[in-house]
Amino acid sequence: MEDILERLTIAVKRGKADKNSPYPPDMKGQEGADELTAEALKMGFSPDEVLQKALVKGMHLIGEEFSAGRAFVPEMLMAAKAMKAAMKHIEPFFRSGSVKQKGTVILGTVQGDLHDIGKNLLGMMIEGAGWKVVDLGADTPFEKFKAALEEHPGAVVGMSALLTTTMVNMKGITEKIKAMSPDTVVMVGGAPLSQEFCDQIGADFYSPDPQGATEFLDTLVS
Amino acid sequence: MEEHYTVRLEPLGREITVVAGTPLKDILFSYGVEFPCGGKGLCGGCRVKVLAGEIPVDEEHRQALQHVGLADPWRLACRSRVWADVTLEVGQFETIILADSTPFHFRPQQGAGVAFDLGTTTLVAQLVDLRTGEVLAAETGVNPQARYGGDIISRIEQAVQQGNAHEMTRLIREKFREMVEHLLRNAGEREVRKILVAGNTVMHHLFCGLDLTPMAAYPFETPYGGACRIEAEKLGLPLPATEVEVLPTLGSFVGGDILAGIVATGMHREKKRQVLVDLGTNGEIAVSDGERILCASTAAGPAFEGTNIFMGMRATTGAIASVRNNGEGLDLHIIGNEKARGICGSGLIDAVAVFLEKGAIDIGGRITLPEERLYLTPEVWLTQKDIRELQLAKSAIATGLQILMEELGLRPEEIDTVYIAGAFGSFIDLDNTRKIGLLPFPEEKILKMGNTSLLGTKVLLFEDEETIAQVLQRTTHVALEKHPLFQDLFAGNMIFV
Repeated sequence: MEDILERLTIAVKRGKADKNSPYPPDMKGQEGADELTAEALKMGFSPDEVLQKALVKGMHLIGEEFSAGRAFVPEMLMAAKAMKAAMKHIEPFFRSGSVKQKGTVILGTVQGDLHDIGKNLLGMMIEGAGWKVVDLGADTPFEKFKAALEEHPGAVVGMSALLTTTMVNMKGITEKIKAMSPDTVVMVGGAPLSQEFCDQIGADFYSPDPQGATEFLDTLVS
Repeated sequence: MEEHYTVRLEPLGREITVVAGTPLKDILFSYGVEFPCGGKGLCGGCRVKVLAGEIPVDEEHRQALQHVGLADPWRLACRSRVWADVTLEVGQFETIILADSTPFHFRPQQGAGVAFDLGTTTLVAQLVDLRTGEVLAAETGVNPQARYGGDIISRIEQAVQQGNAHEMTRLIREKFREMVEHLLRNAGEREVRKILVAGNTVMHHLFCGLDLTPMAAYPFETPYGGACRIEAEKLGLPLPATEVEVLPTLGSFVGGDILAGIVATGMHREKKRQVLVDLGTNGEIAVSDGERILCASTAAGPAFEGTNIFMGMRATTGAIASVRNNGEGLDLHIIGNEKARGICGSGLIDAVAVFLEKGAIDIGGRITLPEERLYLTPEVWLTQKDIRELQLAKSAIATGLQILMEELGLRPEEIDTVYIAGAFGSFIDLDNTRKIGLLPFPEEKILKMGNTSLLGTKVLLFEDEETIAQVLQRTTHVALEKHPLFQDLFAGNMIFV
């Protein structure tokens, strides 16, 4: 019985989305996250069990591999695709309220920057960790963060930048967010950033990798 | 009375006496040591080894060292000050001379001209006899803006956010004047009628004294990218009738250096399917289907230049520049035939190709050995992160090529010729670039062209305005990130297949 959750964990971690997907080559023809999730629900596992014991676990495992340098961007993206395929089956239960999400995270690549792969990876990771993600895309000005915060009060805000010339825009946005709602938690990330920069601009959290951000978010709800 | 201390620099064997508290950066800069991240303590490129004496480390310095994975006896020069007598080992600096002497076609004219390749790192200028096409003299130098960072993004940041634009303009114009003056001594009776300067968009703006703010943020498009003319006299040159002309840019980060490259390859007039690739921190690509030329720049990162690689270094003495698998072990070529101190970009590509073949790296880029270190010599090895850096760099180029070729409806096998521009390009093993998926072309179609920017600028000394207009009219800049599948393509190209 428990076996199917384990298979689903592996399907997510390895990035096997569905039976027809050619990736990864050594799992060709095997059932993927899509089929296994449907089966698990049919077998009577609760959506919450499937989420926590298989999907979140699978994303956590690939996140750890990524942090350690053993997995890289392609593997992460494939795992996220598998996660998405599984979430199709879980999402209706979010809407009906039978499965609770941990909270909402608003993400955006900062104004002036359009490099958003890092931000997208983070979004997939925290979605996989059970959060609702509102992705504002690239080149995001304060006004968009503001509108999203008004729509999702209490949400955490995450900002990314890839360039030293654009990361400075985080400062103004962070200040405006804090002026508007001092309790809003702001986290920042991106290749040129550092803890020092995070402290300088008055943001609450910095992590060099998505795993760190996911763990930080969990401390907010524990 | 001020305290003085002696700093001994190895392997130069030079001794300098300085006042207590002097920043090491000031001393080393004058010896040509580069600070790739602009002295922010981020890259470890300016590391020095304390052989004797002491350089104290404060908390910030300790953290910076930890950040780049270094410990005693290493120090970051950008974070160090002299408070005692000290002996340091510093990486030797050599400028790779890119004085090109490729033959080319031209229409004889009166007088002489100067072709000036204004690189982010390296400057090369040639004095050309316009009657004979002969190169009368050449000058090379290091871009003095290097103290404001090694790459163009650092320069933009320094110009726009740190207010150093005027100083950088002053520095490069001063160096330009000095180099051209040296050339003029060889002009004899010939009148220098033309001076052409080619550089990327950032170099263009800084030389011309233009505002770089538009290049600091999306959409990275500048309204000031056109050709720019400055009276030579205004730049301090004794040439009352001559203008210095800076070539126009092609769009966004793709500058006059690539325009010159296109001219050098003849892409703008030939009916062939051609590709021009300049492999650098900012990789630039131009693809022609025989009618239209599409160009793009792509953020490859500094892996090809040996930066951000744990034991990476420039292609100077002590760098592993090539690696071969001889069946039993590895054959290494070390520049200067010395003991290996690190690895440069060409060596990195070879090493990864060899380790892929041996199965020590899987196609996803993961090191399969339990130790997670790939030794080339007992002192030089690759880390997992190094492989990741190379994957990012090679995918940036491969993805740019893929998108431009796709927009023109071309497949890799339909390309007639691939020109590789730039210093780094001249050292790489072409077969290995294919093996790691950097350039998906057979070796026999690839031509290493060296400094195409200088060659094209030289050709343009003999041409009229019409040629430049023709290139501009044919060429369109493509913003790669706007491609709907950019992320998937970029991720897919990171795989080693």
